[in-house]
Amino acid sequence: MENLAKQKIIEDLLPQKFGKQGTIWVIGLLVLCSIGFYAYCRQLYYGLAVTGMRDYASWGIYISNFVFFVAISLVGSLITAVLRLSDVHWSTPLTRIAEIIAVSAITFASLIIIVDMGRPERFYNLFLYGRLQSPIIWDVIVISTYFIISLLLLYFPLLPDLKIMIGFKERNGKWLQKLYVFLGSFWKNTPAQFKITDKAINILAITIIPVAFSIHTVTSWLFATTYRPGWDSTNFGAYFISGAFLVGSGGVLIAMYVFRTHYKLEKYITDMHFDRMGKVVVLLALLYLYFNVNEFLVPAFKMKKSEEHHLLGLFTGEYAPIFWFAISTAMIIPILILIFKKGRKPKAAFVAGILVVVGSWFKRYLIVTPTLLHPFLPMYDVPASYKHYFPTWEEWAIAIGSLAGALLVITFFARIFPIVPIHETIIETESNENETHL
Amino acid sequence: MSQNNSRRDFLLSGLVASGVVTGCATKSNVFEQSFDEQVKPSGKMVKLLSVDGEVIEVDEAYLKPIPEMPTITNEEERIGIPGRKFVMVIDLSRCKSLKKCQAACDYAHHLHPDINWLKIYPMQDAEQTAPYWQPTNCMHCDEPPCVKVCPVDATFKRQDGIVLIDSERCVGCRFCMAACPYSSRIFNWEAPGVSGKIASVPYSCEKSIPQLKGTVGKCDFCPDRARENKLPHCAEACPNGVFFFGDLLEDSVTNGTETYRFSELIKDKSGYRLMEDLGTKPSVYYLPPVNRNFPFENKDAVVA
Amino acid sequence: MKPLLKPKAMKMKHIYKNLIIILGFLPIALMAQKTEKENLVVGVRYFNNNNKTHHLVFKTKSKVNGKFKNIPDIQLAVYITSDATKANLIGTITTNDVGDAVLLIPPAAKTEWVKSPNQTFVAVSTATKQFDESRGELAITKAKLQIDTVEGKIVNAKLVALIDTVWTAIADVEMQLGVKRLDGVLSVNETPTFTTDSAGGTTAEFKRDSLPGDSKGNLVLVASVLDNEVYGNLTAELSVPWGSKFSHISNFDHRTLFARRGHSPIWLELLAYSIVVAVWGIIIFLILQIRKIKQLGAV
Repeated sequence: MENLAKQKIIEDLLPQKFGKQGTIWVIGLLVLCSIGFYAYCRQLYYGLAVTGMRDYASWGIYISNFVFFVAISLVGSLITAVLRLSDVHWSTPLTRIAEIIAVSAITFASLIIIVDMGRPERFYNLFLYGRLQSPIIWDVIVISTYFIISLLLLYFPLLPDLKIMIGFKERNGKWLQKLYVFLGSFWKNTPAQFKITDKAINILAITIIPVAFSIHTVTSWLFATTYRPGWDSTNFGAYFISGAFLVGSGGVLIAMYVFRTHYKLEKYITDMHFDRMGKVVVLLALLYLYFNVNEFLVPAFKMKKSEEHHLLGLFTGEYAPIFWFAISTAMIIPILILIFKKGRKPKAAFVAGILVVVGSWFKRYLIVTPTLLHPFLPMYDVPASYKHYFPTWEEWAIAIGSLAGALLVITFFARIFPIVPIHETIIETESNENETHL
Repeated sequence: MSQNNSRRDFLLSGLVASGVVTGCATKSNVFEQSFDEQVKPSGKMVKLLSVDGEVIEVDEAYLKPIPEMPTITNEEERIGIPGRKFVMVIDLSRCKSLKKCQAACDYAHHLHPDINWLKIYPMQDAEQTAPYWQPTNCMHCDEPPCVKVCPVDATFKRQDGIVLIDSERCVGCRFCMAACPYSSRIFNWEAPGVSGKIASVPYSCEKSIPQLKGTVGKCDFCPDRARENKLPHCAEACPNGVFFFGDLLEDSVTNGTETYRFSELIKDKSGYRLMEDLGTKPSVYYLPPVNRNFPFENKDAVVA
Repeated sequence: MKPLLKPKAMKMKHIYKNLIIILGFLPIALMAQKTEKENLVVGVRYFNNNNKTHHLVFKTKSKVNGKFKNIPDIQLAVYITSDATKANLIGTITTNDVGDAVLLIPPAAKTEWVKSPNQTFVAVSTATKQFDESRGELAITKAKLQIDTVEGKIVNAKLVALIDTVWTAIADVEMQLGVKRLDGVLSVNETPTFTTDSAGGTTAEFKRDSLPGDSKGNLVLVASVLDNEVYGNLTAELSVPWGSKFSHISNFDHRTLFARRGHSPIWLELLAYSIVVAVWGIIIFLILQIRKIKQLGAV
């Protein structure tokens, strides 16, 4: 009986080949990536002049995309570490989804920062001539650290699953089998090995929380260490982290729904998971809303001269449509959906997740660009194109290509490895059954 | 030597030994000393005709500056000129926005046509207050926020107070542009489009030419000219004498025709610096636009 | 909003540019043979440096649309005396990118120079495609500026010129008396200029108390006559111990947030390195754990 259940779980959760839908999805993403790559080649050749950025709006959607990626990657620490350490077990099937989102997002965050550089071929200067005083160096250090920790956090729980998959030699095919053997042939399911991995995962879960807080706090400092209106805030670290947890959880909602329907995982990613994740998102959205009120109401109350144009531009001026769109789609509407039990059903929660992620993307754009277009001294003596910013097709293509690339990494990961941890699910079911038996 | 076609002007005034009072014939080699303690004899002698009609030999190092400026290493460019602290005073009461300064700067540094290092802003602090023109270049802050954030030492503060950019080091992250509250940094989105001769000049941070695509640029206070005891291009070009340049440690600034004691000028005319509250400690001082020499006429009319 | 120049537009612009250049030069090239070329002006100035060395400064410019424009890369042959023959040639030079050139008076000028108290310098430009040969001339009378001090920080300057064979005092000439500074001369007191009296002298009180000098407190006094029609530019210098001692404490090597790399504040280094060591220590420990698992599996 128990063995049967175990067999069933393994069969359900083993990675599957792309179906028709999957193939179309992958091809679509590959096309988007190639367009982005082509656009980047043009940018390499002609320089950053192909972008809409100019001296005032010197950072554009590349940087807002970077902030978005860093933000969404924080979810890895939330689901795997925070919930794990607080002894919440329902999130177990979601841990690997969260971790792979974190790893792919942080990878593309690094790539997009290179895309934004005027001299990408001098990237090595950061290591040759790095200045410890610069928050960019802090970011480089902390992002590479977070990347390694996330990889480890992905790898340790994967070991028992690798042993299971090595058992399906014929199903795997030559290459995948080689990969699995390379990664995990030494795993023998011995208690001594389990003891080490359990300890390692616990250490990682504790370590990743301050590191995750650091990556997004340092990212917020790229803005907050300047004098600019809208950035000159002591609140920025907390503001960014709360927003990051929100967008990451929204991303997990989307991924949960897609994997559940596509891989037929209804038994593993259940309505209960959507219900609880939905509640988490409501809590995080409220938290982020709180920080937004804090971030905008206080300066608006004072209306310092340097802040005035910036704030009015957001509230009622040229950025008002995007501003209110972002506030309502990233926070208010998702709260209104997810606050109701019906709204936490998979489909509705999926929609809410999409709203959160889309709204958050635009929110990042609003954090970066309007501030730059409100300098202390007037914008003067420059060509008219310098006074506005709208991304060119190259920028859109590269930004969309990078998002597609991140999705592609997640897709291929789910093709190669079980997206819901097999071993841990078996343990959970067993312990649940034991509880019911008792 | 005499066939020198160097672009440098000669200022030979530092040639003489102390104690030589008149032009009476002092046939001993009077050129072995210089008032400038920094100058050391090069050992390379140049034959010249003296005012008295004698053939004399002068150490090349005492021809000031040396006819062929020695190439300065990147390391020296990063440290700066010892014993100097450059300072600029901009007299707002004299500015008419003729933009000769800007044109001279653009020309000398071969900037991209869209780019100006020096901008002349139409300023009006409040509705009822007087409008005036404010030439603004890099403030060469003593606590520069741009330098703080540079990840690779591509922009740096020198001992002579100048903030420079090494365009061969710059990775083009543009963090410094976000950090600068004076909007004085520009980015070379495109190559500056210079002709073959300038494009092939070996890059030097002090000359800031040629500007390189994908790197940040800004006003450099013309340290290459300061080494030759010349005013920056903007100061030299201004017909109204708006720009005073000098050395804070010498307590003196000049616009080429008038020379003032810096401390007295700032005290007498109530000089100030921009955005003092930010704590950046600029090296550029402004004299308030009182008793203006010209009425304010803005052809562009729209003040942002 | 849009790129500065769309690449295609950029190419087109280059084509246009070349076209314009070609079309623009054609008529000039044609005209060059038939009609008159533009007029080149060669300016000559004479500088006497502390009665020791002397040099000439040249400027080549041309009137374009009613405004003078500096003309670079003009070759000049410089002669002493107005007789521009090879025997009197004292040097050839080329003007720089702003039309300036400098020539120190070389020993070759000796024979002519000692002959007469009045001298003429001539610069003849080599004809180019754009300009005909042009000539600039300057006549000067040999003069000397002398500077001296009297107790009580009084500065005396005297201008003498060679008239026939006698050094004669020259009255009514304007001059500056000041302290040498970077790029300029700071007048010794509030008066910007001084004029010589019938004895050729002028006197000024030094009122720049505690003006920074060199490390010994020395200042360089400068008397200078600028662009005089008869005598040219004359300077005389004298070092006096009237300044305050130069002292400057540079904070260049301090550890600050805006210092160069390797000079970050100690608190920052301690903080950063201790965090990095701690976290990467954990990471290395965990990677070693993977090895341990491997060893356990190999048994």
